[in-house]
Amino acid sequence: MMSTILRRLAQLPFILLVIYTLTLTLAWAVPGDPLENPEGRQPPAEVQEAMRAQYNLDSFWSFYFSYLKSATGVQYLSDLASGEIRREAESAREVGVAPRERYIFDLGPSLQYRDWRVNEMIGSSLPVSATLGIAAIILALFIGIGAGVIGAVKPNSFLDISTLVIALIGISLPSFVIGTVLLLLFGVLIPIFPTGGWGSPSQMILPTVALSFPFAAYIARLTRMGMIDALGADYIRTARAKGLSENKVLFKHALKNAFLPVLSFLGPATALAMTGSFVVERVFFVPGIGQHFVNAVRNKDLFMIMGVVLVFSTLLILLNLLVDILYAFVDPRIQ
Amino acid sequence: MTRLLVPLFALVLLLGVVIGLDRSPPRADFVFINASDVNTLDPQRMSWMQDLRATRILFEGLVQTDIFSWGFDVQPAVAERWEIRRVEEPLVNAMGGPVLNERGQQRTATREVYTFYLRDNAKWSNGSPVTAGDFVYAWRRGMLPDTASPYMKFFELVRGAAQFHQLRQAMLTEYQARPAAERNRAAAEALFAETIDAFEHGLSGEAARARIADPVRRERLGLDDENSPWLLDNGVGMRAIDDRTLEITVYRPTPYFLDICAFGTMYPVYEPVVSRFEEPNPETGTLVILGAWTKPEHIVSNGPFELKLWRFRRDMRFEQNPHYWNREALKIQSIETPSIEDSNAQVLAFQTGRIDWMSNVEVAYRGAMWEAKKAYYEEHRDLVEELRAKGYDQFEIDRHLPPDPRLHIHVIPAFGSYFYNFNCNDKLNDGRDNPFRDARVRRAFSMAIDRKAIVRDVRRIDERKAYSLTPPGSVAGYEPPRGLRSICDAATPEERREIADEARSLLIEAMRDMGMGSDPSRFPTVELLFNQEGGHDLIAQVVASSWETNLGVSTRLVAKDLQVFRDDLKNQNFMTARAGWYGDYGDPSTFLGINRTGDGNNDRNYSNPEYDALLDKAAIEADPVRRMELLHEAERIIMEDDLPMAPVFHYSNVYMFDPHRLSGITSHPRSVQNPFLAQVFDEPIGPGVARALPPRAPTPQNDNGEDPDSTAAPAKAGKDSPAAPAQAGTDSRNPSR
Repeated sequence: MMSTILRRLAQLPFILLVIYTLTLTLAWAVPGDPLENPEGRQPPAEVQEAMRAQYNLDSFWSFYFSYLKSATGVQYLSDLASGEIRREAESAREVGVAPRERYIFDLGPSLQYRDWRVNEMIGSSLPVSATLGIAAIILALFIGIGAGVIGAVKPNSFLDISTLVIALIGISLPSFVIGTVLLLLFGVLIPIFPTGGWGSPSQMILPTVALSFPFAAYIARLTRMGMIDALGADYIRTARAKGLSENKVLFKHALKNAFLPVLSFLGPATALAMTGSFVVERVFFVPGIGQHFVNAVRNKDLFMIMGVVLVFSTLLILLNLLVDILYAFVDPRIQ
Repeated sequence: MTRLLVPLFALVLLLGVVIGLDRSPPRADFVFINASDVNTLDPQRMSWMQDLRATRILFEGLVQTDIFSWGFDVQPAVAERWEIRRVEEPLVNAMGGPVLNERGQQRTATREVYTFYLRDNAKWSNGSPVTAGDFVYAWRRGMLPDTASPYMKFFELVRGAAQFHQLRQAMLTEYQARPAAERNRAAAEALFAETIDAFEHGLSGEAARARIADPVRRERLGLDDENSPWLLDNGVGMRAIDDRTLEITVYRPTPYFLDICAFGTMYPVYEPVVSRFEEPNPETGTLVILGAWTKPEHIVSNGPFELKLWRFRRDMRFEQNPHYWNREALKIQSIETPSIEDSNAQVLAFQTGRIDWMSNVEVAYRGAMWEAKKAYYEEHRDLVEELRAKGYDQFEIDRHLPPDPRLHIHVIPAFGSYFYNFNCNDKLNDGRDNPFRDARVRRAFSMAIDRKAIVRDVRRIDERKAYSLTPPGSVAGYEPPRGLRSICDAATPEERREIADEARSLLIEAMRDMGMGSDPSRFPTVELLFNQEGGHDLIAQVVASSWETNLGVSTRLVAKDLQVFRDDLKNQNFMTARAGWYGDYGDPSTFLGINRTGDGNNDRNYSNPEYDALLDKAAIEADPVRRMELLHEAERIIMEDDLPMAPVFHYSNVYMFDPHRLSGITSHPRSVQNPFLAQVFDEPIGPGVARALPPRAPTPQNDNGEDPDSTAAPAKAGKDSPAAPAQAGTDSRNPSR
């Protein structure tokens, strides 16, 4: 078990390097110039030249290696070794000011938002998206498993068909429709929740519901399928024959097996929910990370694209690993 | 099963902690949505409308423009008064010798010297006084190539600034050519010290002479030509005579110089903080600016408000600067700008009272909202007519009427124009002959555009049809040319046919001369390039159908992604392409400059020496009236003869706010807003209470023949204001997005 985990962790840098190379190649090929304005006044040519030099945008390979150096922490370590960081701290102390902030994994400056580092931007938006995403997944789990179990116990009953219908809506309706409907219903017509923003628990509820809908629907279908399979199995007949209560049969024996497909879905689903939904964030103006995926590419903000992709990939790989560990925890047959 | 619930509970707990730690401060006195998210708060590095607007809240320049005067009068700000005098400067070359004319006499040039006297109670938000040196420092930043200021051209109005910029550039190039061993932090710092010395003392001082004594180095720095007038002999024309006296020598008489001094990029920054975030890069020698100085924990500003909170893509919060000299003018304690990108969400936030002012309404149904307001005006027709006759602006008319949600939408003429670019190259990028190389073709195509259908049926907010690049009435003392008549101006179907025939015969004539025959249907298929978002497709459809019906040519719409669109424009990879332009300062040259030969914004690649010569002549013309005549003639060339672009309409801004609850927003066509002047009322207010433009004589109606309201404000701005040339404030270049 331990060796599997270590092996997977050792693979991580190589997978990331491949992702980094592919993404940068694609992002570099995207038409447009990050230092130009898509519309309106263009900075003078010599200004663009100066900025290109400053941001190392002259050549693909010089950008490739310099960014790799700072994003992997090699730059930080070499600065640490050469005493540069200590010198900086000393000179700051002499002047009597706080030394400037240094990041071990420095994802660079944003080309679009000049006053911000990509680290700061991700640092402020990832926790928001993660909170929202985890809340949505928890909600989806409760709703989805509940609906799935009901459907499996009484297949083709009225309850089963109504959960099926709701699940179908949840999967097929885009979240900007669900979000806007929720907003109009509970934000404007019956104003019990604020129309958006972030900071108070009440502002979390509507976006959480909107975000959890498709996940809940999917979980409900997975649970129902797994439960129907499990309820027809021999060990359930055995359990019933032993005289166990229906609750114990359902939740202790059947659900445990039926939950496995849900668990494997949870890995990527959690990563997806945590890294934000562009649409839900836009509708409820949640300051999450989802918007950066879209805006960074639109603005061809190379540093931002690379930063977001690297963070997202790392998260996805780690969450998949976590799910595999949980698998072994739930099902002792898997080592 | 219970084992599974443990991580679940842990997650719920974590969630609770995160929410518990995340608290927002109470609602600010005035909450508005800026044009978009702020890109930077560094005045010398900014160029977007939202950045410039935030800058006016945080910083204050030497002077400011009065947004509640029709002439956009220049008012004292940090400078309490100023003097202007003209001097004749003898020209000196790089070697310190005189520059001679053909007759062997030393040449001279006319300069304007501005002496600004700073008020002694102007303070930074940390209490220290604002000094003349702070302006020198900030403007020097703007001139350095290291800062990469998008508005470098404004700083280059200062005598010697352009040469200083070139010199620094040459020094950096020279530095980068040094062997690696000679490039280190100390060397980069020495290079910067040398730069500062050149800024202050020029190249005539002992130390500088010694540094450039080597002829090779002189050549590398571009100082080889003994007869080139090297303006840096005495340094850049900007001196802090003492802490409260600033002397600026302007390269040539510039009537709009004070107007530019009121522009956000010219505001001072606080050296002790900012310089800590500028460090030389040992490899390239450039000064690298770290953005972090603009964060609330570091920034020191001198404007009416200071920055208390800035959370990325979330919100900004400003509170009154306790040291601001003119706090009496402020009616609010705090300002907040939440970041709400989606326009529908913005409207909802406005309707639920979360925000007071939406500065850019882009919802699809805004045309319907504007219709509803006009219907409300119709219900109060007599009163509205009477108020218009008295010369009240839109906001004050609204305040005379009973409060109604329909009054919350406002359409205000803006300082920008929408047009179609024509490619002016001889060949298209695919090697074909460019049919638009002949000016007659471009004239015909401009005449054929049904501008009325676009403003009435597509834009639906009563924007003004455009016949010129500069919006009429937006610049004091300047009236743009009438331009070509267009088929939509015809009063009768016969007249319309007549104009269409005229356009078609122009086209046929040009086709014959280009050897393309005389059948417009044989004209190469006209491609209209536009970017996908922002409703440009609908406008392109109308333009294309105008060309097909009135000229008989075939067309093809080419929609591209914004970045690709930009690339195509830059490389002239188009036949015709949609475009827009917003002015920066109160002078027609802010519009006309984009058609100069080789200008960085001349996407059309238009070149006419006569036009360039007129702009050059206007630039050095000392008489303001004569100057405007020259500019008028230049604009006439591009709008009546050459048509590098076909003007379509002049933009309007769409605002949303309750005029009975909010004051401090101006309807002036220059569309500059000073959010720090806002005042929010708990009880509905009537007319005369609010800060507003004063009533003035009504202006002739726009010939759109539609509701004149949207055009009531702009026409002939400044005609009745004091005769000072070009006193208009200035805002943004924010493109329509």
